[in-house]
Amino acid sequence: MDDKIPKKHAIYAVETHGTDDLSKPPPDGKEKKYKGLWKRKKAGRNMDDLKKEIDIDDHKLTVEELIDKYETDLVTGLTSAKAAEVLARDGPNVLTPPKGTPEIVKFLRQMISGFSLLLWAGAVLCWIAYGVQVSQVPGVPRDNLYLGVVLAGVVILTGCFAYFQEAKSTNIMASFRNMVPQQALVWRDGEKKQILASELVVGDLVEIKGGDRIPADVRFIAAQGCKVDNSSLTGESEPQSRSPELTHDNPLETKNIGFYSTTCFEGTATGLVISTGDQTIIGRIAFLASGVGDEKTPIAIEIEHFVHIVGGFACSVGVIFFVISLGMGYNIMDAIVFLIGIIVANVPEGLIATVTVSLSLTAKRMAKKNCLVKNLEAVETLGSTSIICSDKTGTLTQNRMTVAHLWFDNEIVSADTSEDQKNQSFDQSSVTWKHLSRIVALCNRAEFLAKQENVPIMKRAVMGDASETALLKFSEVIYGNVMAYREKNKKVCEIPFNSTNKFQLSIHEMDDPHDKRFLLVMKGAPERILDRCSTVMLNGKEVPLDDSFKETFQTAYMELGGMGERVLGFCHLLLPEDEFPDSYPFDIESMNFPTTNLCFAGLLSMIDPPRSTVPDAVSKCRSAGIKVIMVTGDHPITAQAIAKSVGIISEGSETVDEIARRLNIPISQVNKKDARAAVVNGMQLKDMTDSDLDEILMNHGEIVFARTSPQQKLVIVEGCQRMGAIVAVTGDGVNDSPALKKANIGIAMGIAGSDAAKNAADMILMDDNFASIVTGVEEGRLIFDNLKKAISYTLTKNIAELCPFLIYIIVSCPLPIGTITILFIDLGTDIIPSVSLAYEKGETDIMNRKPRHPKRDRLVNWQLALYSYSQIGIIQSIGAFFCYFTVLAQQGFLPTRLINIRVSWEDENDQDLEDSYGQEWTYEQRRYQESECYTAFFVSIVISQLADLIIRKTRMNSIFQQGMWRNKVLLFGLASQIIIAAFLSYCPGMYDALRFCPLRVQYWFVSSPYAILIWVYDEMRKLAIRRHPGSWWEKNMYF
Amino acid sequence: MSSKEDKPVEQSQSSWKDFIYNPRSGEFIGRTARSWALILLFYLIFYGFLAGLFSLTMWVMLQTLDDYTPKYRDRISNPGLVIRPKAPEIIFNRSAPSEYKEYTDHLEAFLSKYNGEHQQNNIDCTPGAYFIQDNQPLPKQVCKFERSLLGQCSGITDQTFGYSEGRPCIIVKMNRIIGLKPKPTPFINCTAKKDDKLSVNYFPENATFDSMYFPYYGKLAHEGYVQPLVAVKLLLNSSDFNKKLSVECKIEGSNLLNNDDRDKFLGRVAFQVKVTE
Repeated sequence: MDDKIPKKHAIYAVETHGTDDLSKPPPDGKEKKYKGLWKRKKAGRNMDDLKKEIDIDDHKLTVEELIDKYETDLVTGLTSAKAAEVLARDGPNVLTPPKGTPEIVKFLRQMISGFSLLLWAGAVLCWIAYGVQVSQVPGVPRDNLYLGVVLAGVVILTGCFAYFQEAKSTNIMASFRNMVPQQALVWRDGEKKQILASELVVGDLVEIKGGDRIPADVRFIAAQGCKVDNSSLTGESEPQSRSPELTHDNPLETKNIGFYSTTCFEGTATGLVISTGDQTIIGRIAFLASGVGDEKTPIAIEIEHFVHIVGGFACSVGVIFFVISLGMGYNIMDAIVFLIGIIVANVPEGLIATVTVSLSLTAKRMAKKNCLVKNLEAVETLGSTSIICSDKTGTLTQNRMTVAHLWFDNEIVSADTSEDQKNQSFDQSSVTWKHLSRIVALCNRAEFLAKQENVPIMKRAVMGDASETALLKFSEVIYGNVMAYREKNKKVCEIPFNSTNKFQLSIHEMDDPHDKRFLLVMKGAPERILDRCSTVMLNGKEVPLDDSFKETFQTAYMELGGMGERVLGFCHLLLPEDEFPDSYPFDIESMNFPTTNLCFAGLLSMIDPPRSTVPDAVSKCRSAGIKVIMVTGDHPITAQAIAKSVGIISEGSETVDEIARRLNIPISQVNKKDARAAVVNGMQLKDMTDSDLDEILMNHGEIVFARTSPQQKLVIVEGCQRMGAIVAVTGDGVNDSPALKKANIGIAMGIAGSDAAKNAADMILMDDNFASIVTGVEEGRLIFDNLKKAISYTLTKNIAELCPFLIYIIVSCPLPIGTITILFIDLGTDIIPSVSLAYEKGETDIMNRKPRHPKRDRLVNWQLALYSYSQIGIIQSIGAFFCYFTVLAQQGFLPTRLINIRVSWEDENDQDLEDSYGQEWTYEQRRYQESECYTAFFVSIVISQLADLIIRKTRMNSIFQQGMWRNKVLLFGLASQIIIAAFLSYCPGMYDALRFCPLRVQYWFVSSPYAILIWVYDEMRKLAIRRHPGSWWEKNMYF
Repeated sequence: MSSKEDKPVEQSQSSWKDFIYNPRSGEFIGRTARSWALILLFYLIFYGFLAGLFSLTMWVMLQTLDDYTPKYRDRISNPGLVIRPKAPEIIFNRSAPSEYKEYTDHLEAFLSKYNGEHQQNNIDCTPGAYFIQDNQPLPKQVCKFERSLLGQCSGITDQTFGYSEGRPCIIVKMNRIIGLKPKPTPFINCTAKKDDKLSVNYFPENATFDSMYFPYYGKLAHEGYVQPLVAVKLLLNSSDFNKKLSVECKIEGSNLLNNDDRDKFLGRVAFQVKVTE
C-alpha cells in the first residue's frame, strides 16, 4: 500500500518529479489490483522515450550556445528559408489532437455492436438458406435472399445512424476548438512579422507582451516586468515573474523558460522558441492524459447488460425451437427459416437507434442549459453521479474578486456581492466613509478598457490585477464615474505595490479649488498600513491611535481574515501646503514625502464570492443524495468560508479542529465520527495512504480539499471510485486532464478551461456554473427513467412477434405474421412512440431520491423483462392471436381447420385446399389471405402498443396523476402509429411490395379488449405498488 | 429479484453454484422456496385468467359465425381451376403401366365419389337452370353427376383412362365456392400453348359446367355435393409423342375470371404432358 501513493504522484507529476521509477515493474503480486495503474505506466513509458529524445537543457545554455544550436540570429531572427526547412522537419506548432479511434473503426464498431451481430447472423442464415434452396431447386422465390438483404440493410442503417449521431456531437467539439487561430509576433529575415502561431519553428525569435498566450516553449532572451500565469500547467494561479537568468536546474522551475499555452500576464519579453507542438511540455502532458484509459460509461454497461439479456433470450429460444422443429420432423431448411424468424422477432431492431436519439435529445436539451455533452453516453452518467468533485474558483464562485466587507468607525459592514450589483446599500453617511472611499478610488492603478459605457459595471473589462479591479468596480458603483473623479484629482506621483513594501501609494491634487494641498493616499497589508499611522479617523474626526484601537483593529482584522477574505488597509495624509507647494518635485526614488504618521481610515476585505445560484444547487445535490466535495488550490480558510457560504459545509457542521477548539481538547481525542465536515490540506493528503483517504471519504459527509495540486485531484477521484461512487469532476487546467479522464464524467469549464481539459472531458460547462451541473444531473436521471420506459415499451411487443413463430412451428398453422412485417413494427410504427417517451416528465421529484446504485439499479432488470415479456407481452400476443383467428374464421377457416394445415397451405401445387365450409382455395387466394393475417396481426400489435405506450408513461403513478395530454410528442407518437399502420395497410401496391393488404375496418378493433385489459391491469399494478410499498408485489412488479 | 437488495455486495460475484442453490439464504436460482411458490402461483392465476378470457372471446367470436356459410366470401369471388390427376406435369410411357398407374389410380379414386352407390340420394335436376334451394329445408338436395357423363374418360369402359393408348384423360374441376352462380354457363376450352396443334375430346361433349350444379350451399348444408366435371381427352398422335406438350385449359363463356395477372389458377390451369412410346 505504502509505495502506491508516491508512485502515483510520480506518474502524474512526470514533469516535476521526473519519471525515474516508471519503468520499474510493479511490486509483485499486486499487478491485478493495480491494473489501471499498469495501463498508465505504459503511457508513461512512452513518455519516457519521448523525454530521452529531446532532453531539455536549453535553459542552461548561454544565449550564444543557443544561437549556435538553433542556427538563428538574435537580431534578424530566422530566415524564411530556414524556417520553412525546420517547419518541414518538425511539423506545424500545434498539438496533435488526441489520437481518436480511426473513423472507419468507429463505423465498423457500430456495425457489430449490440444486436447487430445477431442480425448479421440472421442475414447470413438467410443467404445460406437461399443458396441451399437455389442449388436444390433453381428458380425458387427469392424471399430469403431479399430478407437477408433487408436484415443487412437494417444493421447498416442503424449503424450509420448511430455513427452519424456520434459524429455530430464530436463535430460540435471540433468547431468549438478552432475558433480563433492564434497569432504570434516573430522576427523573420530581420523584419517583425505577424504569423500564425502554428507556423512557428524552433529557433524563431518571438515577442510576447501582457495578455498574449505564449505560442510555444520559449527560452527568454530579454524580459521587462514579465509575469506569466502558469495555471494551465501547474494549477498555481499566482503569476510568476520571468527573466533571462537561469534560476533553477529544473526546466519547470527556472525563470528563463516560458511554456506553450500559458499566458503572459503583464510586461513584455523576447524569447527563442526551443520546442513546438507535441514536443512542448503541454504537448507531453496531453499525450500522457490520452494514455489514461477511458472508463466505460454506466449507460454503456447498462446497454451491454440489456443486450446480453435480450440476446441470450433470443439465442436460447432460437436454438430450442431449432432443435424442437428438427425433432418434429421439419427439414433443416425449414428449421433455419424458423430460426431466422425467431431471431428477427426477438431482436428489438430499432431500440439502439431509439436510445441514441433519446440521449441526443437530452444532450440537446442540456446544451440549451449550458452543458455541452461530448460523449452522448455521458448524458446519463451525470444522472448516476453520486459524488461531484468541484473546483472552487469560477465554478462555485464568480471568479471575480469583490469587496465583501468594510470596516470603519469600528464597525464591520457588509457589501453587496451579488453578480449584478447596481448600488451599495450600507450606510454611507459617515464622514470617515467619505475619506475612505476617496482613498479607495484614488489609490488604484486599475482602469476600465475603453468604450464600455453601456456594459454593466460588473461585466466591464479592466486592466489591472484582481484586487484592484474589485476596488475599481466598487468605487465605480459608489461614485458613478471613477475615471472622471481621478481626472479631477490628478495623480502627481505614485509608488506601485511591491512585495517588499507591501503597500501602494499615490499623491494627488485635490478637486477643491480652495484647497491647494496634496493628498497622499496609501493602501496595503493592514498591519503594515497601521504601522505607518499615528492617527485614526473615527466618525469623521482624526484621533490619536492608541492601544485600545489597535486591539479592536486586530479583532476586526482577524474576523475578516477568518472569513477567508483578503483584507486591505487604507490610510491617507493631507500634505501641508507650506511644505509641499504646487510645484513641489515629488520623487519616488528619494521618497521626499512622508510615509509615516498617516491617518488610518479603514479596512476593506475582498473575496471571490459564490455564485448566487450555487447554494441552491448544492442543497439540491444534497437532497438528491449527491455528495459535493470541494477541491481547490486555494487557502483552507478561504475554501472553508466559501464551502460554508454555499452549503458544502452545512450550518452546524464542525470539523475535527473546530470540535477540538470548542471543547478545548487535543485533536487526537476528538471522535472523528462526530465531525461531519472535514477540511483536508494538500500537505496532509500527500502523507496519507489510500486507507487514510478512504476513511476520510467514508466518515465525513462534507469534505473540502484545500491547497491541493491538480495531481492530487486524481488521487481523490480514485479514492471516491474505490468507494464505488460514480464521480463527476470539474476542472479547467491542463493538469486536471488526467483526473477528468479518470472520472466517470469529466466536466471541463467552457470559459476558463484549457483545450487539454476540454479534450479530456466528457462534458463542457459553457457558463462554468456549478448550478448547470445540477440541471445536468436532473436531465441525466430523467433520461435513465425514460430509457427504462422506452426499453420496456419496445421489449413488450417482441413476445407478440415471437409467439406467432412458436405457434406456427408447433401447431403448424398458417404463419400469423411475416418477418418483414415484424421489421415494420420494430423500425416503423414503434420508433416515434419509443422516442417520445424521452419527452416524458419525471414522475416524482427525481432530485429527491438517491443516485442509482450502479450494480443494483439496472436499466433492464428482471422485473422489467418479466413484466414486459411474460405479462404485457403475453396479453398482446393473445389479443393479436384472437384477431388472427377471427380473420381466418370469418373467411372460412375455423381454428380447428388450421391445425396441421401448414404443409398444404404452403404448397404451391395445391390449388384446391378446402376450408371449413367446403370451399376450395387456390394457392394465391390463400397467400392473399395470409397477408391479411399478417396485416391483422400487425394492426393488433400496433393497437395494443398504443395501450402499452400509455401505460409506460409512468412506472408507479397513475396515468391520471401524470396527465394524459402533457406529453405532446407522445400524443403525436400515438397518432403516428395509427397513421403509419393505416398507410401500410391501405396504400395501393403494398400487397405486391410488402405483403400488407387493406384490412376490414372492424379488424382494427378486434384486439382492443386486450388493449384495454393492458391498461386496466397496469393501473391496478401501479395502484398496488403505491398502496403497498415494500410488499412482495412491489418487489416483483416494480421495475 | 425480490431478495437481491438483501444480499451483501460481495455475493454478487458469487459462483454459479451459489446462484443455483445458495445454502445460506436458501435461495434456489435467486429465489427462496416461498418466493418461487408465490411467483408461480401468481403466474398460474394470471395465465389462468388470460386463458379464460381468450376462450371467452373466442367463444363469443365463434358464436357470431354462421354454421353454413362463412361471414365473408370476397377472397374467393372467382373459382380456381384444377386438374386431376393432380400434377403439374404428366409424364409416362404408354406401354409401361407402372408409369401411369399412379395417374389412373388417382383418377379412379377421385371418381369413386361419383359412383352410383354414392349418389343414390341425389336427384336429377333440370339442366340449364340454377338449382336454387335458398328456402328449402336442410339438408339441401344434390344434383346427380353421373360418372358415365365422362364417357371414355369415366374409367368405366377404359380403365386406363386412355393412358395405355397414349391419349390420356385429364379431368378439369372448378373449385367449390359457396353461392357461386356462373353466368351464363361456362365451358372449358383447352389449347396447346405455343404453336402446337392439339385436338381434344371433351366429356360431356359441350364441355360445360351445367348451371344446375350451382349454387353450392356449403359442406354442412349441402352434404354429398358433387362438383360438375369436364374430362379432356388429349388426342395425341405419334408425332406428339416423346415431346413435352404445354396445355392450358380455360374457363370461358361466362363471367368467371380467367386471366388474372397474379393468380395463374383462377379460371385456368396449365399443365404439361409428355407421352413416350
